[in-house]
Amino acid sequence: MPSEIITLQLGQCGNQIGFEFWKRLCLEHGISPSGVLEDFANDGLDRKDVFFYQADDDHYIPRAVLLDLEPRVINTIMGSVYSKLYNPENVYLSKHGGGAGNNWASGYSQGEKLQEEVFDIIDREADGSDSLEGFILCHSIAGGTGSGMGSFIMERLADRYPKKLIQTFSVFPNQDEISDVVVQPYNSMLTLKRLTTAADSVVVLDNTALNRIACDRLHIQNPSFSQINNLVSTIMSVSTTTLRYPSYMNNNLIGLTAPLIPTPQLHFLMTGYTPLTSDSDINTQQQVNVRKTTVLDVMRRLLQPKNMMVSTGPDKSNHHCYISILNIIQGEVDPTQVHKSLQRIRDRKMAQFIPWGPTSIQVALSRSSPYVQSNHRVSGLMLANHTSICSLFERALNQYDKLRKRGAFLDQFRREDIFKDDLNELDESRETVDCLVQEYEAATREDYMQFSVKRGNGQADSKSEDSRSKTSAGS
Amino acid sequence: MSKPHALRGVLATLISESQSPLTPEIIIREFRATSDRRLPACELINVLKSISEKRPNFAEVTEEISHILQNKDPMYALLVFVERYRESEPSSPSSSSTSLTNMGSPHGSKTSSDVNSATGSVCATSVTAGTSTILGTSENVSGSARVSLTQAQDFPTSTPVNSKKSSDSDTSVGFVRRGPMERNRGAGKDERNDLSVIKERVLSAVSDQSLNGYRMVTNKSGNSPKSSPNELVKLTDVPDEYRTNLLWEYYNVDGDKVPRRAIAAMPLPSQESMLLDELLHCLTGVRESLLVPQKPSISAVGLAKYDVDFDIHTQLDCSLTHMVREILPLASYFMGVQKIVSATDGLGQVMNSLNEALLELIHDFYLIIVQAEEELRLNRLTLQKLLYYLQPTIWVMHEVWSSLVIIQLSDSRDAEVLTFLHERIKRLEGNKDAQQLIIGLVRKAAKPYMRMLQMWIQKGVIVDRHQEFLVVDNEVIHRDELPEHYSDDYWERRYTLRDERIPSFLAKYSDKILRTGKYLNVIRQCGKRVMPTQEMNLEFDPTSERHVSVINDAYYFAARMLLDVLLTENDLMGHLQSVKRYLLLNQGDFTMQFMDACEEELTKNVDHVLPMTLENLLGLTLRISSARNDPYKDDLHCELLPYDLVTQMSKIMKKEENWKAQPRLDLSGLECFAFTYEVKWPCSLVLNHISISKYQMLFRQLFYCKHVERQLCKIWKENSIAKQFEPQAASLYRAAFTLRQRMMNAIQNLEYYMMIEIIEPNWHIFIEKMKTVENVDNVLRLHQDFLDSCLKNCMLTESSHLNRSIFKLCKICLKYCEFIQITQRYFQDAELRSMVRDSADSSESEQESLHCPQVETPLDPADTFSERVKRFDLEFTSLLIAFLKQIISMAKKNTADCFMNLVHRINFNAFYTDQMDKMCAEAAMG
Repeated sequence: MPSEIITLQLGQCGNQIGFEFWKRLCLEHGISPSGVLEDFANDGLDRKDVFFYQADDDHYIPRAVLLDLEPRVINTIMGSVYSKLYNPENVYLSKHGGGAGNNWASGYSQGEKLQEEVFDIIDREADGSDSLEGFILCHSIAGGTGSGMGSFIMERLADRYPKKLIQTFSVFPNQDEISDVVVQPYNSMLTLKRLTTAADSVVVLDNTALNRIACDRLHIQNPSFSQINNLVSTIMSVSTTTLRYPSYMNNNLIGLTAPLIPTPQLHFLMTGYTPLTSDSDINTQQQVNVRKTTVLDVMRRLLQPKNMMVSTGPDKSNHHCYISILNIIQGEVDPTQVHKSLQRIRDRKMAQFIPWGPTSIQVALSRSSPYVQSNHRVSGLMLANHTSICSLFERALNQYDKLRKRGAFLDQFRREDIFKDDLNELDESRETVDCLVQEYEAATREDYMQFSVKRGNGQADSKSEDSRSKTSAGS
Repeated sequence: MSKPHALRGVLATLISESQSPLTPEIIIREFRATSDRRLPACELINVLKSISEKRPNFAEVTEEISHILQNKDPMYALLVFVERYRESEPSSPSSSSTSLTNMGSPHGSKTSSDVNSATGSVCATSVTAGTSTILGTSENVSGSARVSLTQAQDFPTSTPVNSKKSSDSDTSVGFVRRGPMERNRGAGKDERNDLSVIKERVLSAVSDQSLNGYRMVTNKSGNSPKSSPNELVKLTDVPDEYRTNLLWEYYNVDGDKVPRRAIAAMPLPSQESMLLDELLHCLTGVRESLLVPQKPSISAVGLAKYDVDFDIHTQLDCSLTHMVREILPLASYFMGVQKIVSATDGLGQVMNSLNEALLELIHDFYLIIVQAEEELRLNRLTLQKLLYYLQPTIWVMHEVWSSLVIIQLSDSRDAEVLTFLHERIKRLEGNKDAQQLIIGLVRKAAKPYMRMLQMWIQKGVIVDRHQEFLVVDNEVIHRDELPEHYSDDYWERRYTLRDERIPSFLAKYSDKILRTGKYLNVIRQCGKRVMPTQEMNLEFDPTSERHVSVINDAYYFAARMLLDVLLTENDLMGHLQSVKRYLLLNQGDFTMQFMDACEEELTKNVDHVLPMTLENLLGLTLRISSARNDPYKDDLHCELLPYDLVTQMSKIMKKEENWKAQPRLDLSGLECFAFTYEVKWPCSLVLNHISISKYQMLFRQLFYCKHVERQLCKIWKENSIAKQFEPQAASLYRAAFTLRQRMMNAIQNLEYYMMIEIIEPNWHIFIEKMKTVENVDNVLRLHQDFLDSCLKNCMLTESSHLNRSIFKLCKICLKYCEFIQITQRYFQDAELRSMVRDSADSSESEQESLHCPQVETPLDPADTFSERVKRFDLEFTSLLIAFLKQIISMAKKNTADCFMNLVHRINFNAFYTDQMDKMCAEAAMG
């Protein structure tokens, strides 16, 4: 009865990062590309069955469902050495293979059409697990398949499996370069709505920040997809490490995410990782910069914005703050250092926290895989709920508004069923995202409890009176 | 001694006894002859009869032999025959050898004389007491060899051979008598001839002092006070041959019949030779006329009790008198030493062994006297010469005498004697002769003690009938009989030190000595053989510290061996890891899965929980979680304790043995549940009952917190549906959600604090220290420290009820979870249905929306949802703040504890600071 997790990979981006993620998991658990346990990996201290199950011949099969509307990426995966790893029944390619044309609406409609076949696969996987805990969805929000079909599947999942957790690893588009997908703002907005209402937690992977980190921190000019995806897979694997190498706390997905998300809306999480090293095979010519790492070093660096995998833009008013933090520290950690580090951070006020509730930095000490060598003694991943994430949504709103005002590129959306009658869906999505931004902004203030969103019609909410009196009576 | 030789020897003895014309060869030939040439059986018997009829057991033996002859080979019968008589034999050759070697080599005779004296006293007391076998057995000092000797000596007293022997069964008497024997050559034989007459007279003149001596003997030998007067009465009319320790204490044998010679009339040389003669007698304790011992005053105390003053004949020449006065103390010392020796005989091995050494000394003294007497006979001895010879002896004897008297007066025994003598050595720095002498005495006196010590540190065996050894074995119960609590007591109580039995030179090592043997015993109890690797030769030498290194070696050997047994063979650390994994929730996924499986069962009232179900679920969980690879997973079991954690705490802390649980009806299975871990000997030494109880306390607190956390997570998931609510409506529930989050924050921080800040670092320290651990005591101590530190910092030891506060916090969280779960479906219904119906039916939705802000709970219809939340909030916050305040006030008192860290954690962003300040202010005002 382990708390199994099914991974859904959607679209080009989703399948690519998913592929890297599984590569990484295989490496960490000592599973060969064909799914066979390596001879050296028999100490049995890890939990493989969260992400894998065993076939009759004992080889490990990922609990992964690969979905795409065009065959390119999946064909690459199936052409690699890892082709034997996946259950071929779990790989679903749209028959016509035309893709979604970077159109959210197309992806959404195709998802609707294909839902029976897709949910056959998902239901089969779900039934095959003893106590399914939830789903992890890998996708990008800007494209067609990952965003559109992903949105549809998310909605259906939330409906079909209300007790299961839905976590997404959502790749946000790079803002620094001009995208070739012109409808990207629409796609993002529509996906963001589903992420807000259907997903339980969203780990934001901001391509802007990932590229910047690759350039600045790893000194790679023009980082390739695989290098970026390498970063992503690191984050994905480390954020699940407490599930795979269980210790005292955070041993299931819900225990990992629940403390981070105080109110249901505020569920967009940032990540940070340190120390960052590029794969030695990528830049062998560079001397490896090995630093001294202690728990305090790691925790301090994790609080620096430059290590965050989300580019939030400058916080002019300096009012953004942490809603919650979970640090997953790996390596040779002297447990006595944890408290000292926490104390130091508290004394120096290195992090700013919300004023309306208690919060702290939780530190989960996790074992790391014995089969992956690291140059550093200690490494850390931060999963943080930070209000500045709303700047990402604000940016998306701005871009959307610019496009929407001009009414540009809406034709291809109108072609699909969902927009046949009107474009209400777009406006509703915008409103949902706007509410989200307002909520995040409100969360920086002390009166968050009394806050209520202002919609276009500006209904005052009389019910907030209750909560106001509540906090004052809180003592 | 080879068999045929023994055979011939015994036969020869028998033949010589019976003065029969046969020779051993003839007898053997007869018995060896083939059946056709052999004499008939009755003839053979007659042969044997003829040579053995003088023996007391002759009748039985003959009977037996005739039986054997009918069935078996005659040679076998002969061997049996010889065997029967050989059993009663060995005293006779040994005694004859004693008498032969006594003069020449005193060392050779020592053992047997000691044996004789010991057994002699045994006979004496047991026969005289005539009553108690207890006395006999308790007195039966030194093993079966001596016992058999005693028997051997017991019955043949009537035979000529043995009569001689039994009469001088006490060699000290023999020694004393050797003086008179010498004297007899000069002074006639009348006194010596009839020993029994003399003894009779002596008996009638028994002085108070010797009676005192006897009284001491009997008291010390461990009789109950009730029986001792009875025995004393009997002692007085003891037949004289049993009066073993009798001395020639200047008894006035013939009254004052010795004629007082007119000495003044003699010329000086004759005066001198006469005086010398008397002086030599006097030194051996024989009463004479010129030097008359004063009557010992009854009121004498201290040294004077063992001092004798002499009246010197007034007519003696004054120059002679002067010199005699110089020598006479020696007689007094000598007499004192002998008195003490006889008084302390049989009072334990140490005293016996000291006495033996003293007898040797006395023997040497006699040799000097004999030499002097020889000189005197050759007329070469003058008083000056004698004084010159004896001067060193006087100094040394003074030391010996005073030491002994102090021992005797202080009633020291066993280890105290060794301690005293050992210290005496240091004080005699500068007096080399005396020091050497005392060193010799200590060395010999310590021998039996060191022998015991060697047995103990080499094999872990205590052979200590006189309760002299420093370690005492308190074995009351056998391991198999009471397996549950056996290990708890074993380590502390099985073997203990007797402080008063530790000689000073071992005091520093007493702990090591105790542990060495204890370790060996544990190893043996593990079913392993204790095989000392090297020969051990433990002797005490006051001048060297060699025994220390021997003790150290033995100690390290035992410590290392037991540590190996415990850590390597029984994989203690693996067990501890397992215990940590399950009882300290280190294996989080297992805990979660177990909770998943057992939640339903455990939320029932404890009376309805089926232990079998739990056990099955546990087994199942163990097999499907990542714990399946743990080799010790089957040692884990479920236990339902009939009391809650708070009660258990007081039980453990007060160590109430006979504490009785009052059955409580209101406990849920969760509150009573605990894992228990079964370990086998010897790991149960470390993981004993108390340790497991401590683990269980930690477990119950952690488990309960974990349960609360799970419930909070569960409602978190259910609440997350609210993201689908209208944004306006969501704000209504924000208060409820943030309260849940605050609860989660508090509970999780509590868990983090206990697990990451307390248990894990302490475990880390424990493991680090275990790497360099040297012995099992250290292991026990470290483990105990680890547990105690965890308990203390997890607030499970305080009498300040911190854990009660935790319990209350958990309770309110659970209540809140329950409340949210009940209301969940109402508000979910209200919010989501209203959304759907908004479009469908407006009139209906109006009602619904009217209803929605005040979702009524079935719990309390008068309260609105938000009011209920508010009340929960109020209750929870006040509890939490009170808890934090309590910790802060405790931290002020005791800065060493880490409780403060918990406050820092829960109040990391100073959210509660204001409220705490307010509460402080209120407290100050009110």
